[in-house]
Amino acid sequence: MTPRSGPAFHAIDRGLLCCASLLVPEMQRAEWRLEWESELWHARRSNGASGTSSFRTEREVLGFCIGAFQDAACLRRLGWRNRPQFAPLHGSATQCLLCLGGLLLVSYLASLLLPGVRAARDFSGAQVQPGAILIQDEEAENNSVPTMAIDQIRAWERSKQRYVDGFAFYRVARESVELGPKIDSTWRIAQTSSNLFTVAGWSPRYMVAKEYTRNDVPGLVLSERTWRQQFGANPDIVGMLLLVGSRPARVVGIAPGDAGRLPGNTDAWLLESDSEISSNGRGYVLAHLTRNGRSEMWGGLVHITSYDAQRTRHGFWGESLEEQTPGPENVFWFAALLTLLALPAVASVSLAEYSFSSHKPSWIRRAVRLGFLGMKIALIMLIAYFSSVDLAYWHSSVFSPGGVYIQLIAVFAICLFGMRWALLDQRQRCPVCLRRVTHPAQVGSVSRMFLAWSGTELICTGGHTLLHVPGLPTSWFSAQRWMYLDSSWDFLFAD
Amino acid sequence: MVSSAKLSHTAAMILQAIDAGLIYGFSIMEMTGLPSGTVYPAMRRLERDKLICSRWERQSIADAEQRPPRKYYKLTSAGAEALQASRQRYPLLERMISAVEEKSL
Repeated sequence: MTPRSGPAFHAIDRGLLCCASLLVPEMQRAEWRLEWESELWHARRSNGASGTSSFRTEREVLGFCIGAFQDAACLRRLGWRNRPQFAPLHGSATQCLLCLGGLLLVSYLASLLLPGVRAARDFSGAQVQPGAILIQDEEAENNSVPTMAIDQIRAWERSKQRYVDGFAFYRVARESVELGPKIDSTWRIAQTSSNLFTVAGWSPRYMVAKEYTRNDVPGLVLSERTWRQQFGANPDIVGMLLLVGSRPARVVGIAPGDAGRLPGNTDAWLLESDSEISSNGRGYVLAHLTRNGRSEMWGGLVHITSYDAQRTRHGFWGESLEEQTPGPENVFWFAALLTLLALPAVASVSLAEYSFSSHKPSWIRRAVRLGFLGMKIALIMLIAYFSSVDLAYWHSSVFSPGGVYIQLIAVFAICLFGMRWALLDQRQRCPVCLRRVTHPAQVGSVSRMFLAWSGTELICTGGHTLLHVPGLPTSWFSAQRWMYLDSSWDFLFAD
Repeated sequence: MVSSAKLSHTAAMILQAIDAGLIYGFSIMEMTGLPSGTVYPAMRRLERDKLICSRWERQSIADAEQRPPRKYYKLTSAGAEALQASRQRYPLLERMISAVEEKSL
């Protein structure tokens, strides 16, 4: 062995100690390292491992250092056994709120991390402009069939309008799109007035400034779904030329997710001036109501009557886009309302307190108890909101009808069972300390219920109350009752 | 605290070694012949059970002797009682350690 290998072995020994120290609880680590460094010095000196050492002595010192791992593991085990116990937290209001807070954090983080949910939030964040309506012929049964002619729009635009300050038209047709050399795809292209997104109040993402686009090439706004499916959500697609049918079109932006909910199930909107849109075929009309027009709306609907040159009457219905395109928040509030209506069917909502004596907790304690229930419900609702959004949109980023149904069901289920749990949990919490009552004891016999009381007794581990729950509700003992424990019970709860 | 009856032979050996005077980890290894992976964990448990206690040597003493400071262990009164009981349980204990001491001298 060469004298040069001494420092190398020394470095190995110190490295082993360093690794072993990672097992030691952090609080004791520094002192542990100090002791083992000192002991190592003695071990090396005792084995004569300084300068001219042999492999045998180095092996012994190495063996000594390996023992440090056993020592470190032992300290870790001892530290684990002596860790502070959270017994006082068990069953407490704090533990309950911490658990709910943890669930909320998880669901919120999931909504931040799941790419689909994040995109849905970004895209559905686009708000529809108040007063934006979709106009359909009054004879139309639903939005699936377009009923409007562009000539009608042109006629309206020529006359002075008091109730409407903007019209936009679009007509959907299947067209082939060349995505690359020999790569064709058939899309549902909407030939659209260039002001469609302005009328609706949406701003497409990554929008190319007008001065950078050539007027002779129409702009193409991709739907969010198409952008993701065909281009892998690559923002660099904006500005590129695509061949739509037989003419080129430049991608000028990505439509917000809400735009996908316009009738027609459009893959892309080809922006053109109204004069360039042919008069053949029917389409959809979007309009923006003025303040006067909005005052005529009732329940999201407005009736429009128009007369042509021959004084023939034409009737139309304008339906608010806000009503048509409920966002996740609207779905959530609707489902929460349904939950409140359904809750009495699955749980008794009464929180009336019955006591064996006239003793009642102070109003502060009662307010704290009520506040605790309010916090539980608020947390459950937030959990329901974020979890439902996670469930609805983790697989698809756009605001799809399927997503709406999934969110609706998820919010309803989570809120219903969550609130049921919150009410049942509240009834089993000591009115004094809000700790859950425990140690259930069956008292009496149901067969003797006319002679004596029978049911279950639960006790607050803080020594404040005893809860009596009747086995069979009777006319004289129908609801649970609290018994407030006096000082004579203290001996039971002494440490 | 653990009862003395529960002390293992190893723990009793370490107590006996510590009883010889102010002592640090490596010297216990030398006296008992036990490996480091046995001695140090046993000392942790004895310290947890308050049978031994430890203190660091003053830096000035270590500096004077040109070595790192040592962590010395000594028996507590409970440890002394436990050792007494262990000596009855393991009669050869006292002789074994003293023999080692003589040998090392």
